[in-house]
Amino acid sequence: MQSSTSGAEEVRRLQRRFEREHSARLAAEAIAEEGLRELYARQQQLLLLEAIAAAANQSKSVESALQFALTAVCESTGWPLGHAYLVPSEGAKRLRSTGIWHRPQAGDMRAFFNATEMTDFEWGAGLPGRVLVTSAPAWIADVTAESNFPRAHDAMKAGLKSAFAFPVLVGTDVAAVLEFFSDKASTPDQILLRLMSQIGTQLGRVIERKRAENDLLHDASHDPLTTLPNRVLFLELLARAVARNQRRPETMFAVLFIDLDRFKVVNDSLGHHAGDHLLVEVAARLSASLRQSDMVARSNAPRHGTCDTLARLGGDEFTILLDDLSDLSEAVGVADRIQKTLAAPFVVEGQEFYASASIGIASSKTGYTSADAVLRDADLAMYRAKTFGKARYEIYDQTMHEAAINRLTLETNLRKALKNEEFVLHYQPIVLLSTAEIIGFEALVRWQKPDSDLVYPGDFIDVAEDTGLILFIGMWVLREACRTMRLWQQEFPRQQPLIISINVSARQFAQQDIVQQIRQIIHETGIDPHTVKLEITESVTMDDAERTVRVLSELKELGVRFSIDDFGTGYSSFSYLHRFPVDTLKIDRSFISRMEQSGESFEIVQTIMHLSRNLGMQVVAEGTETEAHVETLRSLGCDFGQGYFFSKPLSNAAAHDLLQASTPMANAPRAKRPLATSRSAKRSAPPCAQHPVISTGVNAALSR
Amino acid sequence: MKGIVFNLLEEVVTSHHGPDAWDSLLENAGLDGAYTSLGSYPDEHMGALVAAAAQTLGMTPFDVLRWYGQQAMPLLAARYPGFFMAQPSTRPFVLSVNSIIHPEVRKIYPNATCPTFDFSDAPDGALLMGYHSPRRLCALAQGFVEGAAAHYGETVVFEHQLCMHRGDEKCLCRISFSSDCSGKMSC
Repeated sequence: MQSSTSGAEEVRRLQRRFEREHSARLAAEAIAEEGLRELYARQQQLLLLEAIAAAANQSKSVESALQFALTAVCESTGWPLGHAYLVPSEGAKRLRSTGIWHRPQAGDMRAFFNATEMTDFEWGAGLPGRVLVTSAPAWIADVTAESNFPRAHDAMKAGLKSAFAFPVLVGTDVAAVLEFFSDKASTPDQILLRLMSQIGTQLGRVIERKRAENDLLHDASHDPLTTLPNRVLFLELLARAVARNQRRPETMFAVLFIDLDRFKVVNDSLGHHAGDHLLVEVAARLSASLRQSDMVARSNAPRHGTCDTLARLGGDEFTILLDDLSDLSEAVGVADRIQKTLAAPFVVEGQEFYASASIGIASSKTGYTSADAVLRDADLAMYRAKTFGKARYEIYDQTMHEAAINRLTLETNLRKALKNEEFVLHYQPIVLLSTAEIIGFEALVRWQKPDSDLVYPGDFIDVAEDTGLILFIGMWVLREACRTMRLWQQEFPRQQPLIISINVSARQFAQQDIVQQIRQIIHETGIDPHTVKLEITESVTMDDAERTVRVLSELKELGVRFSIDDFGTGYSSFSYLHRFPVDTLKIDRSFISRMEQSGESFEIVQTIMHLSRNLGMQVVAEGTETEAHVETLRSLGCDFGQGYFFSKPLSNAAAHDLLQASTPMANAPRAKRPLATSRSAKRSAPPCAQHPVISTGVNAALSR
Repeated sequence: MKGIVFNLLEEVVTSHHGPDAWDSLLENAGLDGAYTSLGSYPDEHMGALVAAAAQTLGMTPFDVLRWYGQQAMPLLAARYPGFFMAQPSTRPFVLSVNSIIHPEVRKIYPNATCPTFDFSDAPDGALLMGYHSPRRLCALAQGFVEGAAAHYGETVVFEHQLCMHRGDEKCLCRISFSSDCSGKMSC
């Protein structure tokens, strides 16, 4: 009995032990299953994160990356509805719907979609606004019971219950927010939210990359100094305007080509930093001159079709595209506003500076098929405005194109002329007024075309200057004039040797090795440098006065002498004039010709005479054409005269004959009268009527 | 075959016939019987156990499997109540096997070879369920469906229109639900 009791006890004990083991096994299995389930969830999350990271790396656009993420998250989590917002511009404190959704198949949620897409969510407003503030994920267990959820009514109608949202971060800034909705109420899932934060980081990389790309694109199409569109972008926009105009000829556009006058002076005198400063200020004023109705300062891509685009082509060149013009007068209005706005002084590094612009206008009326052609013509018109005296505008017309073609032809012919040695020198005597004696000549270049036309410098010097051909022509003139004068000096020896005056242009003078070149020519020709007088205009000397002082001093050491040409027409600083080693001033012909009619001109001549005396300089009066001129000049104490009264410029042979005739050694009177020209004969008593020409002419004039 | 199938069979046999019956079955089948839900075991073990049970209980293997399916359902409902609560009645519960229940199984046991059923509606509103598996466990499927119906307080009529056991290529089962309105979307 006892044994059976203990046997039954034994069975119960074993049974309990078995049940304990059984329960433990079931519990262990349950724990293991739970672990496996979690592991599975983790793996799924990793796969999701991997998929989104891969998509983020490959996606071409932010939008496609957002769409991918919404779909992937919805499919992976089983949340049926997802939507993305973007911050509308970098640094903005609000969110705007992208219109990118992952939507469930069933259910009518249109009202909720509309409510979402029509709202800009401000800082803190609703679920997205909250994420914007905290830069952290947020969870709403039941949106219909949430106080800060403006879309609650529509969400309820759509059958939505719980929601979560997370930020897409670029650095610490929220660049976008993604939100998800479920039709079931649910408590916050921290693991899920942590995963979403990581997804937000991955998507942030896409936005960051896109922003960097946009920055690069912007840099490639904009001028870094002014942030305005550059030539590339301007031509692109212009090409669109041209294409639109071809499709719809009733539309009209115009291009303003703006070039600052005298910008180089600021750059050269105040330095590039000051120049840059001025350009930025000019860009701001130009921007303000655009048409008021749609005035937009455009550092970003402009709206197409309806607004003005200001661009900087480079240097001091700006362009404006005026689109949708109703009349060309609107373009003129803009040009006028630009001149007005530039008229106020600029303060650059503490110095006041006045700027103006030359503006060329080309419009679609000409009928363009390419942007380059529009720009070329606007440029031509600008060039015309500059030529006509700056601070003005010119509207392109066909004749400008013809003029440009002519210039081009002229340039080609000038090059040929240099090669074929078609240039010749004419010599105009310079006469000592007191004795009517020829003391020298000014060498003047002429172009003897093969077809026997003689072309005067006025018809080709500008082009020669612009193209740089003047450097070659100028050197040839220097060499030829020195060579000829050396021969004459040998043939007609005098106590005071004849002097040769030779013009030196601005571009020649600006050459770094000008001193070296002149030294070389003097050496080659063997001329006495004291008999060489270089004529330089006032503007050349004053452009960079310090350099002028230096170069002139170096040349002076060679023995060369200088006169300032066209004196009185430019702006001379007396302090510099004093420092220049110049010994002659040539009074501009305009003062001499008006001396009798205009008291003002007379006084100017008189003043120059005083000035030169005080500075110890000699004076040559250019354009001395009448006896009266000679008389007046002599009474004012002028030393020398040059002009038709004495002689027109003569060919080499004619000048040689004149020298021979006027030299006391030359005995036989000559039949040839080199000074007899119908022009000089009409203007004054014929100075050549008697013999020897010059001295008699002058004597005759002086004797009256 | 997953260990849980053997564990459930043990529970069903033990609860109806006592622990000794299970020991006998194992002995008759020549198996040691150490099954855990975490493991996988040869399909032949199930065949041997079913054969042994049929012999012991005087039933056909078909009926053993069907009975086992019916009886296992309450145990599953106790262990995984979520699957049952998520569905209002038998029909949607059956339909959730492919889309919800088996995917969940695969989450825990990635190597599980769950069967895939194909469902279609018969013109009279009955559900047609196709089944194709080398295990040929259509009887177990019937038992599960009937056990589920019992859980939802419904009855079903389960007919094997085509059956692999009768030489057909696949099984096609026709399931009519008693309160036949309950499962249909239109009701």
